Amino acid sequence: MMIRHGKTLLSFIGLTLWIVQPVSAAESKTLQIDGSTTVGPLGDAFAEIFKELHPDVSITVKKTGSGDGAAALIDGRCDIAMMSRFMKDKEFQQAVEKGVFPVAHVIAMDGVCVVVHPSNPITELRTEQIRDIYMGKITNWKELGGPDMPIVPVSRDTSSGTYESFHLMVMNNEKMASNVEYVNSNPQAHARVRSTPGAIGYVGIGFLDRYVKTLKIDGIMPTRSTIAKGVYPVSRPLFLFTNGYPKPGSIVHAFCTFYLTEKGQEIIEAKGFVPLTEY
Amino acid sequence: MTTAVSQFDDAAVRFPRPLRLTFRDDLRSTLLSWLVKSFLFVVTFCSVAAVLLIFVFVIRQAAPFFMGDGGSAQERIREFFTSRRWFPEHQAHPEYGILAIIAGSFYVTIASLLIAVPTGLLAAIFLSDIASFRVRQICKPLIEILAAIPSVAYGVFAVMVVAPWLQKNLGFPTGTNALNASIILSMMAMPTIISIAEDALTAVGREIREASYGLGATRAETILRIVIPAAHSGILAAVILGMMRAVGETMVVWMASGNAAQIPSPWWDLSQSVRTMTATIAGELGEVPQGTIHFHSLFAIGLVLLIFTFCLNLLSEHFIMQMKKPKR
Amino acid sequence: MLWRQIKNIVFTVFCSGSVLLLAAALLFFLVPMIWKGSQAVFFRKTVEFDKMQMELFRRGHPAVLEKITAQTNQARQPALALLDHFSRGVDTTLLSKEARSAYQQFGRHLRYREVSDEEYTRLREEAKDIRDAFLKAVETTDKTEAESFLDLVDAQQNNPSFQDSPFRIVFSLSKDYRQILQDIDLSRRSEYAAELDIVKTEMRKLFGPLPGESVPPLAQDRFGATRWDVAQKHLRYLIYQTKWVPSEQEDHRLIARQIRRDDPEEGIFGKTELAPLFSMVEQNLAAMLQPRPTIYWQYFLDDSTAGHYFGGAGPEILGTLLLTVLSMCFAVPLGVLSAAYLVEYAADGIITRVIRTCINTLAGVPSIVYGLFGLAFFVLMVGKPCILSASLTLGLLVLPVIIRASEEAIRAVPQSYKEASLALGAGKFRTFLTVTLPAAGPGILTGIILSLSRAAGETAPILFAGAVALGPIPNVGLHPKWLFQPTRALSYGCYDITVGDRLAMQVPHNQFGMVMTLILLVLLLNLAAIFLRWRMSRKLQGI
Repeated sequence: MMIRHGKTLLSFIGLTLWIVQPVSAAESKTLQIDGSTTVGPLGDAFAEIFKELHPDVSITVKKTGSGDGAAALIDGRCDIAMMSRFMKDKEFQQAVEKGVFPVAHVIAMDGVCVVVHPSNPITELRTEQIRDIYMGKITNWKELGGPDMPIVPVSRDTSSGTYESFHLMVMNNEKMASNVEYVNSNPQAHARVRSTPGAIGYVGIGFLDRYVKTLKIDGIMPTRSTIAKGVYPVSRPLFLFTNGYPKPGSIVHAFCTFYLTEKGQEIIEAKGFVPLTEY
Repeated sequence: MTTAVSQFDDAAVRFPRPLRLTFRDDLRSTLLSWLVKSFLFVVTFCSVAAVLLIFVFVIRQAAPFFMGDGGSAQERIREFFTSRRWFPEHQAHPEYGILAIIAGSFYVTIASLLIAVPTGLLAAIFLSDIASFRVRQICKPLIEILAAIPSVAYGVFAVMVVAPWLQKNLGFPTGTNALNASIILSMMAMPTIISIAEDALTAVGREIREASYGLGATRAETILRIVIPAAHSGILAAVILGMMRAVGETMVVWMASGNAAQIPSPWWDLSQSVRTMTATIAGELGEVPQGTIHFHSLFAIGLVLLIFTFCLNLLSEHFIMQMKKPKR
Repeated sequence: MLWRQIKNIVFTVFCSGSVLLLAAALLFFLVPMIWKGSQAVFFRKTVEFDKMQMELFRRGHPAVLEKITAQTNQARQPALALLDHFSRGVDTTLLSKEARSAYQQFGRHLRYREVSDEEYTRLREEAKDIRDAFLKAVETTDKTEAESFLDLVDAQQNNPSFQDSPFRIVFSLSKDYRQILQDIDLSRRSEYAAELDIVKTEMRKLFGPLPGESVPPLAQDRFGATRWDVAQKHLRYLIYQTKWVPSEQEDHRLIARQIRRDDPEEGIFGKTELAPLFSMVEQNLAAMLQPRPTIYWQYFLDDSTAGHYFGGAGPEILGTLLLTVLSMCFAVPLGVLSAAYLVEYAADGIITRVIRTCINTLAGVPSIVYGLFGLAFFVLMVGKPCILSASLTLGLLVLPVIIRASEEAIRAVPQSYKEASLALGAGKFRTFLTVTLPAAGPGILTGIILSLSRAAGETAPILFAGAVALGPIPNVGLHPKWLFQPTRALSYGCYDITVGDRLAMQVPHNQFGMVMTLILLVLLLNLAAIFLRWRMSRKLQGI
């Protein structure tokens, strides 16, 4: 009996492998991309186009986080690290010690937008007010002229690039109160605010839509133009890091300069970021 | 396997051989059996080695947090266990206090056990004492399936189905909270509790039950007064193993608990978000720069988790041993 | 006595109730997950789905598709033309762009005609004035002002120098625009423009890129609504706008009100030329998209586009199979031999107790700690996160499960089997290999299948050890290169698609489809194990 079952199992596995195998393409070159969850969708989309343009290159996109991207670049585990923050001193030091020289390519701008539930009548907040909310000094929308509703502050997890931008530019390096709820990704922050009438949160500009209401900060609405001009107070560049400047003509070079092409910019806009150059 | 069976068949044919072994034969077979035994021992020892390796590597990566630059080890340890403030990425004054995070782990664990233990115990009683053989045959696979569903699927369920439901029908400010995580965790811990508790109840034996029935006790009385006290160590082991499952679970709590590093106030309010040790590791390990204090602090949390589950494990083993000991 | 009986009955009811509660919990979990997930495979497809399948997967019959496309295009034509016409009045960038390009082409035209320099400069200047007048007419929000600018343009209409040049387009534009001015309230143009943007987006979501637009670079934007339910959703978004108005109660909250965009009183396009569009799309949507029920079984084989917007879970399934099978290759020999040692050889000493404790500890180590260990040990050992490091981590994770299952199975082999073999002169190890192992085989196999399902479902250990969201499909072959590639996996995919990816939120059927695939895989494995055990117990009972 054992024999029969063993054979069935084996042949089943063999069959599955055989069926799926023809799908896989022949490959010669590989391109490994690793890093931030914020830049991840851009990496995904670029990779999708690249698959069409260069069918012989097999591209891997891994979205684990900026820190992991940097570490992967330093260890030589990836060719390109996507990062939503600049490399830290410590990371640079490690890189140089291992003979890796990180070069930054700014591919797009991202604005960190403060959002609330659409049922919230508040339309505008000052930076100090947002800071007070996240520091726990303001706990009810009543205090800001809104409905009598406890505020549910939603933040990205403390190690994300988005958190760091917000922390630096809005919080002025003040620590957040302990009632702040942490979520692991932009979509989750969006989903939390969308489903919670009393919530306030911050997400990248690519995550704005009809389900959440964007607030003006200090009277400035985050739009493509205010972010590109640098008028909006909370915006940040998105990076690709490579080991040294990639050799012109190489596949890494093509990927890192893809944001300059028309298609690249269309993608950046389609993914909700702000392109740096305009055609 | 085919060859193995045919060899066995052949053995009967090839069997005629001198029953008196020469010294060489004897030596050979002794050596061989010793070799086989030591080979198997080495293989088995892999598990021990794996446990050691896990401890060694987690400790090695956690050590720089306690020994590392800036602040003495004693201060670090005191802050680590007594401060509620977890701000590892702060540029000027990072703080590494995991009290709130440990508390978060305990909140979801205890709350899930509050649901899982009574239900699981009653279900175990049903399976061991009430259900007929046929019903048991149906129920067992059910419980197995409950145990087999991947945690990430439970996590998706928690985020996409339970959270909106809680928010809509119970009016919580947030749907991803301690209660949500606890409900799901209790579903995950229940199969463990049921199967071990059922073993413990069955192990009590017919004689004791029959004696009780013979004295005129009802089923409820027999089970509550006689069987459960007799099986208490096994049931405790079941609870502890269920607890281990809940403490160590990652994906569900990461997705469903809300991840706010706070101790709920008032303390009984499960509708608030909490953050657990496992979720902290899973959420931050990818983002943090490797080799920094923050990176090592995550391994330190892992070490705390590891030691905690190790102790629970020893405790459960102790109870299981007690259960297996013949009763006097 | 009665009281005791009642207590007894209550107790029994509670016990049975808890089991029912369990069953209910399982149903409450399985039903929505499987139901929602099944919509990734069973759904009503539209013509856009066929187009997508044709372009991305080369599937379907070109002739049939062409015929349907022609039919649907015909049905869509009036609505699209209406939208196009209306947007010319509102979307001023389009008009000014056309005017500018006409002016540029005029310049080129003049250069080819080889007119004299003076003539060239004069005509260019004149054309520029006309263009600027038109641009001003387009930009202004005052109707009379716009008309006066248009008059300036039209005054030059019969100028012979523009008659046969590309520049005469400007005059037809001006005529169009003059007509549009009659219908539209210019002071509300910016309001219209914002709403029109939404309408256009929804139309794109329904029917793909609008006529005259270039092909979008991303596959997700290249097709309209591929599914009928998605089409219904976007139809709703197209027709209704959500207005947040202050509620009547005194709590300052805003409440949502759904208003039809073509509502004659309140709808933004109610009094405009665009109003018929909405009912036109609403009534003819079926003709425009031609929905038909389909079974998309290729979901389990297909690759997907970025963010799992289109396509299936094929690579994830393959990745999971590879990871689990490979992890079994490490765990099964180790596990079975360990079990053999523990049952057959180990004396009940201190060392055996240590080993047992270690196995129990291994079973109790939280999965995330396996993830930490995988990152700190296996990834370091192998060099990078890849299939090998991930499956080694998973192998370690299931090792205790296999040891326990095998131990139980080996113990269950009747002592008489072994004694018979030993009596025939076979050695201890030979007895184990030839008698005990085959007899314990089904039991061990059950354990293996259960640990397969465990390994397939674990996410935390492979988070940092080799799972990726998007990657090449491993080219499985004799050359072990594929071992050193990272791979996609179902469990990680479920996580990524639920919380990691924004795009996936727009395709909930794919989100649930992935989870359903994982659940089905695990359920199938478990059912196999249950079936095997049932066969075994029947055999033991001698039926």
